[in-house]
Amino acid sequence: MNDDLKNHTNDEPDFGPDAGVLPGPADPAFDAWIARVAPSLNEPRATPRLEMWQAIQAARDTARDAEAGRLPGVTPLRRRPWRLMSVIAAALLLGVAIDRVVLREAERPSVTPPVATGPRSDSNDATRLYRIAAAQTLTQAEALLTAYRSDGAPEQNAMDAQQLGRWGREVLSSTRLLMDSPAGDDPQLRALFNDLELVLVQIIQLSGGELDPQNRARERAPIDRALIERALESKDLLPRIRTAVPAGVAGANAASDD
Amino acid sequence: METERSSLKRADPLADQHALLERARRGDPSAHRALYDAHVDRIYRLTFRLTGTEHAAREVTQDVFVRAFAGIEGFRGDSAFSTWLHSIAVSLSLNEIRRRKRERARTAPLDEANELTDSAPRSDPLLRERVMKAVNDLPEGCRTVFMMHDAEGYTHQEIATALGVTAGTSKAQLARAREKLRAALAQFAGEWNP
Repeated sequence: MNDDLKNHTNDEPDFGPDAGVLPGPADPAFDAWIARVAPSLNEPRATPRLEMWQAIQAARDTARDAEAGRLPGVTPLRRRPWRLMSVIAAALLLGVAIDRVVLREAERPSVTPPVATGPRSDSNDATRLYRIAAAQTLTQAEALLTAYRSDGAPEQNAMDAQQLGRWGREVLSSTRLLMDSPAGDDPQLRALFNDLELVLVQIIQLSGGELDPQNRARERAPIDRALIERALESKDLLPRIRTAVPAGVAGANAASDD
Repeated sequence: METERSSLKRADPLADQHALLERARRGDPSAHRALYDAHVDRIYRLTFRLTGTEHAAREVTQDVFVRAFAGIEGFRGDSAFSTWLHSIAVSLSLNEIRRRKRERARTAPLDEANELTDSAPRSDPLLRERVMKAVNDLPEGCRTVFMMHDAEGYTHQEIATALGVTAGTSKAQLARAREKLRAALAQFAGEWNP
């Protein structure tokens, strides 16, 4: 298969449990009849060209704005590697310091005789820190998405919209930090953050702001809301976050208990 | 002269397509729109056939073009643009079907037959409903091959490329799909054996 198709062709579809069984002899009369009937089964109506094109444009505008840092308060963090590296380095140093000073102080009264376990690696520290931060960010994201859904149409109320936008930007910053962290090598969590990032950007876009002088947010609100709902549903975002959060917390604790 | 002119005309679409893709790669919005206009009908029909509902077909078609335009810089032209779009469309449609299956497993069962026969012709509702149900009961891969081949007229080679299987697999799966349908619809045998 050529390279263009590799990334988009699905895993082989499920052909059923008897996929390897050779089919029996054909019945040409049935084959001809079903081939005549099939085109009229659930036949598509006219293509809603314009509506789909508008939705595609809206989705692409949102992605472009986010990429270019044109969304109010959203910094295209990944374009500044030096800043990212310093944030990660600071976070790791802080984590190691907390681990060595605080957590080991707490272990000291233990009557268990010391066991030679060997020194912890820095990568374990980084992974534990990452899990703790991921669990916290996902908890925030879940709360934000739940609030967004219960608000109905937040862009109708400027105050709600601003609050939601601010909150979204905070969660988005943490999400992007986690996405860019070299400690985040869990592919499932990475995919979850990717999907979450898209929804957060759309929510921020929907909330508008001072950098949106033409008030495009309000004009595009129905399309953006539909895109957000679609992303939430199609990506199973909330259930996945709920599944990941206990695992994240437990994982982080388990790592701390090592 | 006439022959020369018509052969030039035949060659033009390919050259146009390359030029269009080049413009689209450079981010020209009119090229994106032209590509959309050229392919949207077939992609929408396919996603509609595979997902079974207008709403899902719209959403999947939109996703197909958003992804294609986002990744067009990396499209090297090893395959035709339409082949690439179709592979994305099939992939996203199957994801959508799987997502709905998971959702159905979590929530109360939906009346799928009603949902899927909304736009079916009404001439023989019972038969059509049974055929549609039998089609929907096919394994995912069989159903996809059957809908692409018998309902939308794709060749086995096109189906194979979109699904990432061989043309032989596509043929075998079509035969299995028809065999299963024949068994499921046995009570209507008078329809094809009058």
